[in-house]
Amino acid sequence: MPKLALFLILIHFLPFLCTSFSPENPSSRRVLVLLDDLALKSSHSVYFKSLQSRGFELDFKLADDPKIGLQRYGQYLYDGLILFCPTTERFGGSIDLAAILDFVDSGHDLIIAADNNASDLIREIATECGVDFDEDPAAMVIDHTSYAVSETEGDHTLIASDDFIKSNVLLGSEKIEAPVLFQGIGHSLSPANSLVLKVLSASPSAYSANPKSKLSSPPSLTGSAISLVSILQARNNARILISGSLVMFSNRFFRSGVQKAGTPTKHEKSGNEQFLTELSKWVFHERGHLKAVNIQHHKDGEADEPSMYRINDDLVYSVEIYEWSGRSWEPYVADDVQVQFYMMSPYVLKNLSTDKKGRYFTAFKVPDVYGVFQFKVEYQRLGYTSLSLSKQIPVRPYRHNEYERFIPAAYPYYGAAFSMMAGFFIFTAVHLYNK
Amino acid sequence: MAASETSKETILRYAFGNVLSFFILVLIGVLAFSIRLFSVIKYESVIHEFDPYFNYRVTQYLTKNGIYDFWNWFDDRTWYPLGRVIGGTVYPGLTLTAGTIWWLLSSLNIPLSVETVCVFTAPIFSAFASWATYLLTKEVKGAGAGLMAAALLAMVPSYISRSVAGSYDNEAVAIFALIFTFYLYIKTLNTGSLFYATLNAIAYFYMVCSWGGYTFIINLIPMHVLLCIVTGRYSSRLYIAYAPLVVLGTLLASLVPVVGFNAVMTSEHFASFLVFIIIHVVALVYYIKGILSPKMFKVAVTFVVSIGVVVCGAVLAVLIALVASSPTKGWSGRSLSLLDPTYASKYIPIIASVSEHQPPTWPSYFMDINVLAFLVPAGIIACFSPLSDASSFVILYIVTSVYFSGVMVRLMLVLAPAACIMSGIALSAAFDVFTRSIKFQLPGATENSERDAGETSSNSVVAQNDVAKTEKNEDAVKERPSKKNRKKEKEKENVEKPSVKSQIKKKLLILPLEASIIAIFLLVLLGAFYVVHCVWAAAEAYSAPSIVLTSHSHDGLHVFDDFREAYAWLSHNTEVDDKVASWWDYGYQTTAMANRTVIVDNNTWNNTHIATVGTAMSSPEKAAWEIFNSLDVKYVLVVFGGLVGYPSDDINKFLWMVRIGGGVFPHIKEPDYLRDGQYRIDSQATPTMLNCLMYKLSYYRFVETDGKAFDRVRRTEIGKKYFKLTHFEEVFTTHHWMVRIYKLKPPKNRIRGRAKKSKSKASSTTGTKRIGTKKKNPWH
Amino acid sequence: MAKSTSKDAQALFHSLRSAYASTPTNLKIIDLYVGFAVFTALIQVVYMAVVGSFPFNSFLSGLLSCIGTAVLAVCLRIQVNKENKEFKDLAPERAFADFVLCNLVLHLVIMNFLG
Repeated sequence: MPKLALFLILIHFLPFLCTSFSPENPSSRRVLVLLDDLALKSSHSVYFKSLQSRGFELDFKLADDPKIGLQRYGQYLYDGLILFCPTTERFGGSIDLAAILDFVDSGHDLIIAADNNASDLIREIATECGVDFDEDPAAMVIDHTSYAVSETEGDHTLIASDDFIKSNVLLGSEKIEAPVLFQGIGHSLSPANSLVLKVLSASPSAYSANPKSKLSSPPSLTGSAISLVSILQARNNARILISGSLVMFSNRFFRSGVQKAGTPTKHEKSGNEQFLTELSKWVFHERGHLKAVNIQHHKDGEADEPSMYRINDDLVYSVEIYEWSGRSWEPYVADDVQVQFYMMSPYVLKNLSTDKKGRYFTAFKVPDVYGVFQFKVEYQRLGYTSLSLSKQIPVRPYRHNEYERFIPAAYPYYGAAFSMMAGFFIFTAVHLYNK
Repeated sequence: MAASETSKETILRYAFGNVLSFFILVLIGVLAFSIRLFSVIKYESVIHEFDPYFNYRVTQYLTKNGIYDFWNWFDDRTWYPLGRVIGGTVYPGLTLTAGTIWWLLSSLNIPLSVETVCVFTAPIFSAFASWATYLLTKEVKGAGAGLMAAALLAMVPSYISRSVAGSYDNEAVAIFALIFTFYLYIKTLNTGSLFYATLNAIAYFYMVCSWGGYTFIINLIPMHVLLCIVTGRYSSRLYIAYAPLVVLGTLLASLVPVVGFNAVMTSEHFASFLVFIIIHVVALVYYIKGILSPKMFKVAVTFVVSIGVVVCGAVLAVLIALVASSPTKGWSGRSLSLLDPTYASKYIPIIASVSEHQPPTWPSYFMDINVLAFLVPAGIIACFSPLSDASSFVILYIVTSVYFSGVMVRLMLVLAPAACIMSGIALSAAFDVFTRSIKFQLPGATENSERDAGETSSNSVVAQNDVAKTEKNEDAVKERPSKKNRKKEKEKENVEKPSVKSQIKKKLLILPLEASIIAIFLLVLLGAFYVVHCVWAAAEAYSAPSIVLTSHSHDGLHVFDDFREAYAWLSHNTEVDDKVASWWDYGYQTTAMANRTVIVDNNTWNNTHIATVGTAMSSPEKAAWEIFNSLDVKYVLVVFGGLVGYPSDDINKFLWMVRIGGGVFPHIKEPDYLRDGQYRIDSQATPTMLNCLMYKLSYYRFVETDGKAFDRVRRTEIGKKYFKLTHFEEVFTTHHWMVRIYKLKPPKNRIRGRAKKSKSKASSTTGTKRIGTKKKNPWH
Repeated sequence: MAKSTSKDAQALFHSLRSAYASTPTNLKIIDLYVGFAVFTALIQVVYMAVVGSFPFNSFLSGLLSCIGTAVLAVCLRIQVNKENKEFKDLAPERAFADFVLCNLVLHLVIMNFLG
């Protein structure tokens, strides 16, 4: 039985063990950056610096470098991958579409920046992640109402968007004041896809078209259906950031001031740096990464975990949930963690109360139904790692000697039975004597 | 046997006869045991079929954990996630018996594995059963008929089919319990002793422990009592035989957890209570009649009847109203399908789907009881001369069991002992007549008969084979009716009646010597035929364990051990807590042999759960995946016989899955799977059929075997040959493709967008979750 | 008519009494015992009707113990009755021993079932 329990615990940790995200040695996190042109290294240096300053070891490579590879001897060499190579048609070395998808499917993180004229390869990777770029390769997102005011009256492809997703986990607790400058291709998400999220969406007046040519047919992507920057949290908690613009990561955009058309305020500095840095923190699991440990349940008043409960037992369930802060595991505090006592449908559904030190607990009575139940915690909150804990526990009916005995209502029956026995003895005596 | 000689030799002859019959009985026991060992010799010492695996697993649990844990065993490995309270839903008789044997043996320092004990329990108990038959028939018609019946029962194929070594099922011990209970009832009836009445109640208790068929006893005995009362054969012995049995039997039956309050609450038992009341009234009437003068009695009758009718009417009305208020009238489905043979097919497909619940065909009668079928009528006639309480009971037994066996193949098993008893009586009576006519015409008959007997015994002592021969001789000597001498039969029956009735008259009806000798010779032939048939049935027809199959072809013997291969794979390659879904037939085997949790198993107590699995099997892949995923299923197991021509595979059972599934979930409609009312899997099959999970799992990659995908069971090429699985992945297929195991794919890690390149392909499925990345890695 | 009926009943009652008076004492004791058991059984049925059948096993065992006792006593009465010619060859001692055995089994089961 202890073996089994250990095994169960291991099973629950499996997702964490699988991800190469290893909080235990956060200092040596290696990220491969693939570039079209090494000049990007300097033109986007602010962004890279911010990553390096947080302890990431960036490995800059040209995308068609024949020596690059993601893994060696079955071990991944990197914990993350940044694709700043929108025009690359083929990667060098051993990297191809399948390799990148495997990289993600084994729990590693990915940042993709596309651009107009993005290559089929980049588009294909994005599609695999559930993001569909505008099919017209020359199309850009154009917005005639919320463009960024600039010196040269352009074609309104430089957009100032402040339509962020509302989530502190994704974008940090500090509010992003300035709009974000964006220039590039738009993409759409399937509404049925529950894994991807629009982080930055275009305004309702935006549309996606080739700015150089006249609009001949209605654009395929319009309005706020266009997503500018999206994130994806895969089921194995690998995180992916997809942006339709590479230039928004650049130093130039980071530093330039921004004034949204139609608004009087002119911000000294665009929101790009804050927006993208905070988002990169999320992508590289510095925020919103939860772990659940130490799942315990036992009968009220006992300490050991039983292998089986009886119906109508009182039990106590507890779990500890921590969040990774970038340096250490901090207690995660929330009031909406629920546990289900589940067999085909939840028989008990209870909010867990927390002691603010990471421990969540509740007590309840096992329902009057036997069967194989599960303690289920399904915690899926925007931006957070989805926690899906389940622990199987059988619930048995009463044993034969656990039923109520000596029920007062039954005393006459007992009396009758015993009087019969007494009667039997008396009768025996009388009968024998009478002979 | 017929010990009728001059007074001087009588005592010696009785002693000799007793010793002889004792030896014959021992040999019959040996015969009954050894004829059932063919399965061990031809195959190996394994548990057979489906239910025995469950019993075996329960027995293992019992021997490991003791009786209290067994009693309270909540099994979380079956019927996931409902679980099953084994202690409260199982007839514990068989398990306890085998457990006790094992415990006894191991405490005597005889180290046998539980499996060995389980394998040999059935043959041991069939020996007991033949002894019980001897006792019962002896009570009815004397020792000769008893020996005859015991010998017949030892080899009757119908019983062999349920009690070969390894067939570790309830019936194995239940038939013994059944016959023994009947014996004790007759014994009590004949002696009027409370001692036997007590034993009778205890034997009944053992029967209740062993098999659900105990309701047969508790209905047959009241019927007999009623019959006796109606025909004016009431006696105080009848009262003593019946009244304590009802009270003690009911109490003891309620002690068995699986029966519990059913023993007083369900209609199956009401007949016994009704007769219990009637017999008290009758006893009272007889008592009063005894102490009163006839005239006063008449007055009393008019007095009592007028009051009694009113009271009884009121009580009956209340009872009927109570019973009728419940929808099934308090009868369980299985009993109802017995009373109304069309009931099951109309309302409960799950009962109808089991092949052993189908009505038997005529050949199966011949197969299972062989020549006994012809001897039974003669036995019935012999029982009428003279009609005693005991023989009327046997007649009632045979009549009811013939009816029940006509409803359900399985109950042929109940018929078999009755047929053996009847045939034993018939043969023994015929033997009497023939030998006596020979004896009467030959001077010095005494020596002759004694020599006969001596030979018989010397023969039989030699060896088992000879035993069969001896039996044959005996059979033969006593047997009589074959088609040729039908006419003579009639005469003989005429002869029998007086012969048994009164020994004095016996010299009156004598057959000619030649006729007797020829008749005896013919009966020897008939008996030989019976024995040959039985041995053949035991060796060929009924000893296959069904988990190991063999087939003879021109290039020799093929052994198909795919089931064990698959279960071993499961137990070695899957996690302990993984759930395996399969059709319920394979549930017991999976839990017992692979030790994995199953969703449904052969204990079909929850129709909805089975219907869920049936629905999943008949749904398209995606819907099936969702059903299975909601049940936490990891693996799906299907049995497929198309490659080797194994006919009882899942495709052939599939219509039952559709029916059972459709019975609960109406969106599954049987006509969708049939083309013009025909069940087919070739190119004419309906699209629903070709897209259902069962079809896909069975025929996935089947075309790779021979290039044509020719199904050898259905004798046709399958309809859809090339397809990919989107939600399941094949993880294991056994050597002969008989068992195929699939794993549910986990949900996609990422959800793919609609790419322009695969737009046309994915258009039908875009917007839904878990679209397979069709091009890249279909297995992920 | 009614008069004759009542007269008949009276006569019947009378003859019953006189017939019964001639039964041996040991049989009368048995009858008393049976009467006691039946009476207890009736009380229990009435009690059950009033209170409800909740501890059904207790009710069942209580009732059946009474009925069982009565039935067994009747059996004994049949066997030891000297007028009954069916049991000439059955010694009363043997009958009584059987009766005791039967009762032991009965009460053992009752004890088992009562709780």
